[in-house]
Amino acid sequence: METTTPLLAVDVSARYADGHDVLRRVRVTVERGEILGLVGQSGSGKSTLALAILGLLTAKSGKIAGSVQLMGRELMGLRPREMRELRGREIALVLQSPLSALNPALTIGAQLREAWMAHDPEKQHWLKQAREGLRSVSLPDTDDFLARRPSQISVGQGQRVLIAMATMHRPALLIADEPTSALDMITQAEILELFAKLNQAYGMAILYISHDLASVSTICHRIAILHDGEIVESGKTEELFRAARHPYTQQLLSSCPHILAEPPKEEDMDENLWPTAPAGVLQGALHSHTYHDCGR
Amino acid sequence: MKLLRKLAWIILLTVAALSAMASVLSTSGYATQFREETSAAPSRQHWLGTDELGRDRFARLLYGTRISLGLAPVAALLATALAAAIGGGAGYLGGRWQRGMTVMIDLFLCLPWLFLLVIARAMLPLNVSPMVSVLVTFGLLGALGWAGPARVVAASVAALRDSECVLQARAVGTTEWRILLRHIFPRLLPILSAQFLILVPVFVLSEANLGMLGLGVAEPLPSWGSLLREMESLYGLTSAPWRLVPLGLLMLVVNSLQLVMGDEETSA
Amino acid sequence: MKAFRTLGLVLLAAVMTLTAMAQSAGELRFCLRSEPRTFDPLLVSDEASDTVRYLTGGVLVRINRQTQTLEPELASSWKVSKDSRSISFALRDRIFYSDGSPFTADDVAATVKRMMAPETHSPMADAFGAGGEKTDIKVLSPTRVTITFAAPIAGLDRLFDEVAIVSSRSPRKEMAALGPYYVADHKAGSYVYLRRNPNYWKKDSSGQAMPYIEAIRLDIQANRDIELLRMQRGEIHLINSLDAEYFDRLKSINPSLVYDAGPSLDSEQMWFNQVPNAPVAAYKLKWFRSSNFRHAVSMAINRADLARIVFGSHAQPAIGPVSPANKFWFNRKLRPTQYDTGVALRQLQQDGFRLNGGVLRDREGHAVEFSVITNAGNKYRERMATMIQQDLGKIGIRLNIVTLDFPSLIERIAEKFNYEAALLGTVNAGLDPNEQMNMWLSSGENHQWNPRQKSPETTWEAEIDRAMKAQSQLSNPMKRKVYFDRVQEIVVREAPFIYLVNRNALSAISTSIRGAAPVAMRPQAYWNIERMSLTDGKKVH
Repeated sequence: METTTPLLAVDVSARYADGHDVLRRVRVTVERGEILGLVGQSGSGKSTLALAILGLLTAKSGKIAGSVQLMGRELMGLRPREMRELRGREIALVLQSPLSALNPALTIGAQLREAWMAHDPEKQHWLKQAREGLRSVSLPDTDDFLARRPSQISVGQGQRVLIAMATMHRPALLIADEPTSALDMITQAEILELFAKLNQAYGMAILYISHDLASVSTICHRIAILHDGEIVESGKTEELFRAARHPYTQQLLSSCPHILAEPPKEEDMDENLWPTAPAGVLQGALHSHTYHDCGR
Repeated sequence: MKLLRKLAWIILLTVAALSAMASVLSTSGYATQFREETSAAPSRQHWLGTDELGRDRFARLLYGTRISLGLAPVAALLATALAAAIGGGAGYLGGRWQRGMTVMIDLFLCLPWLFLLVIARAMLPLNVSPMVSVLVTFGLLGALGWAGPARVVAASVAALRDSECVLQARAVGTTEWRILLRHIFPRLLPILSAQFLILVPVFVLSEANLGMLGLGVAEPLPSWGSLLREMESLYGLTSAPWRLVPLGLLMLVVNSLQLVMGDEETSA
Repeated sequence: MKAFRTLGLVLLAAVMTLTAMAQSAGELRFCLRSEPRTFDPLLVSDEASDTVRYLTGGVLVRINRQTQTLEPELASSWKVSKDSRSISFALRDRIFYSDGSPFTADDVAATVKRMMAPETHSPMADAFGAGGEKTDIKVLSPTRVTITFAAPIAGLDRLFDEVAIVSSRSPRKEMAALGPYYVADHKAGSYVYLRRNPNYWKKDSSGQAMPYIEAIRLDIQANRDIELLRMQRGEIHLINSLDAEYFDRLKSINPSLVYDAGPSLDSEQMWFNQVPNAPVAAYKLKWFRSSNFRHAVSMAINRADLARIVFGSHAQPAIGPVSPANKFWFNRKLRPTQYDTGVALRQLQQDGFRLNGGVLRDREGHAVEFSVITNAGNKYRERMATMIQQDLGKIGIRLNIVTLDFPSLIERIAEKFNYEAALLGTVNAGLDPNEQMNMWLSSGENHQWNPRQKSPETTWEAEIDRAMKAQSQLSNPMKRKVYFDRVQEIVVREAPFIYLVNRNALSAISTSIRGAAPVAMRPQAYWNIERMSLTDGKKVH
């Protein structure tokens, strides 16, 4: 029975306060251990969907209806407190820009401490967990690094810190909202690799949100295309690439001509993810810089 | 820049030390009336001369500095804390709360405060010692000075509330209370310290104004306010320029405070 | 030939001088501190209106501000009846208002009738006693009139100093003036312009018509700093009343501008709350109701220092309730209260007070501490209080100074009686003790230390009551003075009011004014306006 329940099953509609429909019956499921790519242009409602899943859409930003189920449990209508307890522990979020997502007034250590202590009030635990978290994202776990402020580390390091914060409690689902679009292409590649590694090492499912089909295709098992508030097409990565049916998907595909002939298989995702990626993927990622703002 | 900051520290420490040692440094108390030497020019006996009642200006300046420099910052701190609590709360809750509070602040700022303070003073008991009157005065200033800063704080908190780092903090499951305390409050510190620095000289001057209404520091206790009040007439100043010393000291101290505090901020 | 020419020049100069004088030229300028509230002389209650009334109103008799004696004016003679109820005036003949209307006994009758009518609400009616309908006015001829009031009025004739006679015939009503000037122009908030009354009846000894000055411009100026500046610049000719600080400031710039006419009629005093059920600690009320305590406090105050330091010597230590400036009524037998802390302490010991370790304690061991309230913003009173604070400190009394805004001060001293001691002043416009009836009678509203008593609570208050009533029923001033001298002695002995200083009458007068002779009595500087002249009609100094 358990295997038939998806990790996450979403079926939501959202409407802004001004009456504009952002999401129209968007149905998305994420299986355990799966990386699902959600691809759409800016303004297509990707971020709204991410926030809706986390229960962070405020009354100000709009109204949401439908259902969000995590392991069969309905999240819509949970009390704020119950929802808070889920966040960071069951579902975590990584935002696009570490420059704005990290608090400039707090040290890295303090931010990790806050993230840990949100679900474990025991004061003595956090430092060990923070160091482990930093190691898991290949950052130095020294006191010196913990004492730094966001302005004193690089953007790539910042993104790793964000990922460390999000994964400290080993959530079942990690939502990454354009996590690489603020990065240069080398760092982008490293972060993508890190996601794949975390997915492998902890069996963490990832909802990977991006406007960049090419970069998504390198790590995602399945891809869903969001266009104008609706899922227009979804399927396994290779199938989607082979036989896109919706005109929008076709348009997306044509905009990045050097598409992978073979999508990654789960077995080789571990180490040779990037070495096998053709140059076109990198180029696609590079182009994306011109329109990386996803409407926030 | 660094030299300037050092200088500011030296000035502040010197002023603080001088006023702390007022009883040692001044040859006479702040209240002793040398009735044969009223409105005297500076002399070896009275370094800054004497006031209209023959009291030693230097002693009054030292003791007055002790009172104003000691209490105006305390009052400013109280006002800033209230502003942080009220403005911060309203800004964070947002929506109706913030609108409600903005209306409240506007109303509060519109109230005829001097008039209300006069009524408040009229209701206080008459037989209070000068020291208590000082504490009451600065306490009132602190309790009533929050509205302006609160508006600034509310606006900043409202902006911070919608910022990505707060979103990120929520996404890791941080409680709202911790977000306020650990994520928003530290980022308000520069704003709060700026408001604090604005309020200190404002309160020193307000105390002087309240004195005119009989609400300030009671005689014979000196304060910067009562010393500044002596400068009402330009006429007295041109004939006795040493009366400008308290004003000079006030400006020096406020500027030094700003320099020192401003530097703390940038290094933070 | 040469001598002849010189003689000619001298003659020419003399003729020119004479014509210049005869032309009575010039415009006198000074400031009113507020807009006059009324031009109706019967409704005057503010200083600015009073100034206009003094300059434009014609009165039957006038108190000479210098000699303080009553002199004939529009009445050539008058007679008060034995019972002090009625007064008969013989009026001057052939006198005309500024608009040409004749002045007769009918005008006097109409004026008094209107003043006494309750619906007029004249502030002056009170002084003439209640019962306006009972006032009987008989016009015997165009120049003879007798007025009989409902009850005896002591000092009845002097009260007519303030009654400007309004024409009963002139279409211009109260704007038709009998005094030396008339209101020619008025711009609200800006100025009042007075012109010489061409029909003014008075002539000087050489037969020249008075007043000499052609016009008076009264600028409305509330700011005293600006007033002082304009005086310095020569834009105005006089400041009727200056305070000590402004006086010294002006003196340091131009000593020839200022006049110190000696002590004025006004006094500054301190008093204790003696209201029996006042919301004040019972043991403190006990102190305040002890004449030994009050007198000791009075002796512990160094009045000479107050006058010298606070007022820069432009004040005199007060002796008693009446200023020495009040020439007739001041009791010359009174001696100034001596400043002697030793005697003060001995007097306190009689009441069981003990000075121990610099703290005075009463018999029950309460440290003697009380507050004195005064009005905020009056730096002279604040400074006096601060000096008294130090003086009383010497006999172990702790004084707390509280400055309050005027309304709450008045509320405390007149309604709630929620105060311990107060420091304020008394402004005396008139000279006669009858004007202070309300202050001395124990039933009076202004009997500040314990007002509105049903019957006098102390024997000395009872004695004051008797003396004040007795003098008010007499018409012979010398007999009245015997009683009022007694009142002054009692007040000094019992010290319900502790009189501190009499401020001097200070004024500023341009050197271009001739004939100025400032006095203690209001209006200090221009009381003899009709005899004043300008040497230069345009610029001052």
